[in-house]
Order: sequence, then C-alpha cells, then structure tokens
Amino acid sequence: MRRFDIVTLESPNRAPLRIEGFEFGNKDSKGPTVAIVGAMNGDHINQLFVASGLVEYLRQKESEGKILGRILIIPAVNAYALNMGEKNWPLDKTDISTMFPGYELGETTQRIAGRLFETLKGYDYGIILEGRRDQGMCLPYVKLIESGYEDMESVKDLGLGFIHYRPHEPTETVMLQYNWQLWETKAFSIVFGKTGTIDHNASSEVHTAIVRFLSKRKILDFALFEGRVSNIIDPHKITIVKASRAGIFISSMRCGAQVQKGKVMGKITDALTGETLEEILSPCEGIMTCQYSHSLIFQNSIAFRIASVELCCELV
Amino acid sequence: MGIIEEVFTIELPVGENFRIQRCRYGSEFIEDKKAKRISIVSGIHGDELEGQYVCFLLGEWLRNNTNKIRGIIDIYPAINSLGIDSITRSVPFYDVDLNRTFPGSKNDFLPAQIASGVVDVMRGSDFAIDIHSSNVFLREIPQVRIAKSQEETLVPLANLLNIDFVWVHDAVTVLESTFAHAMNTIGTKTLVVEMGVGMRLGYAYGHQLLKGILNLMVHEGILEMEPPKEVRFPIQSHVGEVAYLNACCPGLFVPAIEHCQVIEQGTVVGHIVDPLSGISKAEVIAPIGGILFTLRAYPIVYEGSLLGRIFGSNKEEK
Ligand SMILES: [Zn+2]
Repeated sequence: MRRFDIVTLESPNRAPLRIEGFEFGNKDSKGPTVAIVGAMNGDHINQLFVASGLVEYLRQKESEGKILGRILIIPAVNAYALNMGEKNWPLDKTDISTMFPGYELGETTQRIAGRLFETLKGYDYGIILEGRRDQGMCLPYVKLIESGYEDMESVKDLGLGFIHYRPHEPTETVMLQYNWQLWETKAFSIVFGKTGTIDHNASSEVHTAIVRFLSKRKILDFALFEGRVSNIIDPHKITIVKASRAGIFISSMRCGAQVQKGKVMGKITDALTGETLEEILSPCEGIMTCQYSHSLIFQNSIAFRIASVELCCELV
Repeated sequence: MGIIEEVFTIELPVGENFRIQRCRYGSEFIEDKKAKRISIVSGIHGDELEGQYVCFLLGEWLRNNTNKIRGIIDIYPAINSLGIDSITRSVPFYDVDLNRTFPGSKNDFLPAQIASGVVDVMRGSDFAIDIHSSNVFLREIPQVRIAKSQEETLVPLANLLNIDFVWVHDAVTVLESTFAHAMNTIGTKTLVVEMGVGMRLGYAYGHQLLKGILNLMVHEGILEMEPPKEVRFPIQSHVGEVAYLNACCPGLFVPAIEHCQVIEQGTVVGHIVDPLSGISKAEVIAPIGGILFTLRAYPIVYEGSLLGRIFGSNKEEK
C-alpha cells in the first residue's frame, strides 16, 4: 500500500488540508485500474466508513498477493468539514462535489476539485460513494448517468438490486460522475446510507458489492458468491408517498421491504398533543426503497418511495 | 394602504407554520387587463438584508403616494423567512441554497416546495426585481446581472434602475436553477440586483435603488407621476472586461483602498498578511485599470478566495 497526499492546501490558521490517497497494486501492473472516492461532504460518514473499510480490506489482500490491477482509494475529500460537523467547505460553504471539473484559476473549492480531478483522470473505472442530499435513507443503489460513455455491463457486476439510469440533470454537469465519464472513465455512483451516521447493513452491502466488482473486473484475485440481478429503473417511475401533515414521524418499515397495497408503513403524530395525525398507507405493491429518516417531518415531505415494475400510481 | 397576506404556508413539525408574506398595493387594478404587475423580492438568501430595507423604503413611499399607483405592486421582503430571522443563508434544516432549487416541485423536499410556491404566487407578474446583497464575503456596487440569452429584453429595463453597472455574463448551467431564470422562463421580466454586503445595510444603496424602482415603475405605467430626477445610467459590461482577483495564498486580507474606486493597472489593492509570523505574504495588484466594483469584505482567505473584481474598458487594457 502506498499512502500519499493527492492535494494539500494551506489554511490561514488550521493545519493544512490533506486529501490522502491509498494505492494498492503494482504501479507497472497491466491490469485494470479503478479509483474510489469517499466522503466529498462533511456529513457523508457512511461513505467515509465504507472507503476506509476497503483500505483495511485491500491492505490484507495485498499482503496475500491478490491484487491484479491498480486501486486508488480516497476516503475523505473534505476532511475540514468532517472535522467540524459542517457539510460543505467550512469558510465559503461551497460544495466541492459540485465544483467539477474544477478550475485552477478559480475559487478555493474549484481549485481543490480541479487538482483532485487531475489525479482521477485516466482510470478505467471510477466509483463514487455518494451520500444523500436530503433527509432520506435508501436501499443502496447505483446512479448511472447516460452520457454516451457510461458502461452498464460493468455496473451490473456490483450485484446491487437497483440501477437508476437516466439522462443527466443540468446540475449534474458540475459533478464528478458526469465529468469523469467525459474523460472516458467508466464512472458511476453508489448512493447509500443516511447522512451523519453509519448504516451498518447498507455499508456491508456496498462493501461486498465493490469487492465483487473488483473480482469480476479482474482487479482482485478473489472469488465471491453472486450478487443480485440488477433491476434497471428510471428513478422518475418510483412511486412517491408523501406526508400530508408535519409532526413526529414514526416509520414501521425497513428499506427493502416488500409492501402490499394498503399496508400501514408509518404514522405521524402531533408533536405537541401526541395524537395520530396520519397513518401512512402504501398506495401500491412494490419494494420500499427509500424513506424519510429524520424524526421530525415537514408537511408534504416524501415519507417513502416504492419501486414497482409498473408505476402503479403517482400522488400529486 | 397595502394589503398584507400570507401567500405560501406549510406546516413545520412543532406547532408552527413556515410562511411567506406579501404586501400588495393597487389591488383595485386586478381586474384591469391593461394594468401591469411588479413583484419586489428579497431574502431568497437569509443573510442578505439590503432588500429588506428597499422593501421598507418602497412601502413607506407607497403609503404616502397611493394616489399615484396605476398597477399592482407586490412586496415580498422575506422569501426564506426561516433564514432571515436566524442569519442563515440557506434553507435551515436542509442546508440547501434556495436559489439553486428553482423552479422547484410540489413533490420534492421543503426547499423545492418553497421554490415552487414562490413561482406559483408570482406567476403572471410582468416584472420582478430580486434584490440580493452579494454575501458576507464580498461588497458590491449596485449592479444588475443578466444572462447573455436575456440581454435584449432585460438590459433596457436594467438601465432604468439607477444602478452603477449592468453585467451581462455567459450563463452557467447551475444558474438555470435560480429564481430569476425560472421567472424569466415563464415570461416575467426578472432583474437580479446585487448590492452591498451580506448581514449589513448600506443605507445609501437602499435609497439609490428605491429611486430606480420608482423610475422603472413610472416608465412602465405602474406609477403616474414625473419620473425621478438625476437617474444614473449604468456602465455596460459589453464595453469592457472583468478581471478577477483571487488570493494566491491563505491569510488575512487587508485592503489598501476603498471599494468602488477607479484604479490604474498596477495599483496595490491590498495585502495578504500572516498574523502569526508578522509577515506580509502577498501584495494584491490590479491586473488592469478600471473600477473596483467588487471588494472582499470578509478578511480570512484561502488560496483562490475572491478578493475583488475590476471592470476595465477595452482600450485601457491594450
Ligand atoms: Zn443572494
């Protein structure tokens, strides 16, 4: 394992920011190369956890001589934010994950993104461990943007249950996946977890999926059991179940559960009087893939998302 | 008198409603198809307060001049009301920039619902003026920023606003998610004013923009009176170029000159100093001559932090 600084940036008063990389495999190896990027935001603890777990795992595999290709892991991009409970760059509150491909003559986070991106160019595969941007908690899924350079075959090797496949949104043109694909890296994101904490089930599923990917893509010499057959879905065709009232939200389900039409998935109680304001019923049959994960819920927030083969209904 | 209404409301979890309020003048013109409607908007960013003062000044003026009103004038001083009352730029709890969430959606999280509610309420307005005060980092002279694609429609309108500078820029994709873009798309001519600095008031700027808004309203027939005197004509960005000053190293930025000066190429704009060692680490030099229309107000900088912007005319450059 080679541990090195990819980016260092001096601070006015703090110790310098260091974006560290952990590299496995022989530099002259002819095998495929992959880079894995962990926490880009300060609340993506789950992404940090999975990335650092992979560093530990691969260190062992390397000592057993099992690395065929070359693997770079960057567990934390925004360590400054992680160290102080911030989400974004602590001074100007800009989001490094939306600064790609970066700009060397630009603002601080554009420079950080630009320098990081220089290192990430040229890898065969790129895996972005992505946290959610809202108060949701989801079954781990792959987010694959249709840019013309995406590679569905390799993504299926993860063996995760769902692949969200769709054209990019305007705001995604400044994100890593899109730019990485334009530079001809087979890049994709794995979205999982709940911001600020560690979901151990989801983390272990993602860890296993990445190891399976490394094995199937001949980067790692180690065989695993098969994963799932991935369902490719258009995320706009997932049924949304909203909270009609605000209050205390109590879910009675786990992500990944199969639900029947009419099943009680959770309830909202009045935060002051305790009375039940709403019982949230499933409007259709399918798999509950995502749910609101904070205890206080706002009116009209999305409480649950249900994936089904046929979109059964859409609540407005 | 203006009519105060709650135009958007949504339950918060614990015994409170999020609300957006509006004060409407000239509601008697609602049925009048020829009467025009203007929306004055502030507080999309909760840490920008210049617009609040302009809203006050305009409301005060209108209360004393109701007989001059010939259209509908809607004043929305606090869009991100949670943020304004708590020095929070973004939408609290979600920590999302509301001005990157437009046009929003009723089927998405709270910030997107607020955005969608704002668009619905202002739909049908002929004009909107969205007043920002830069942020806490930068101080700006009163200016209007216009995406290149809107240049033809909006520049003549901006020229009425008694501001100092009209900046036409190439639109970046992320700007497609702004209030102004969303409103311009549905036919409301929307101007974005940037002036002053976050968390503070510059009283003179407020009065300057008030005069401009009155001038625009007279011009568009929303007010019937003599137009205000001595309205200034803004510098137009197409006659020159904008130079950016970014910090080359971290430290404490100490400006050497005042904001809004006309400076020569080579002028020392400030220094980046190191409080620990007592060493001055860098001299910040103007790369071109022109007007220093942006100057950093918040002194802590990293490499890359914006220190200022200079607008210089083309002939000075060569
Ligand atoms: Zn603003």
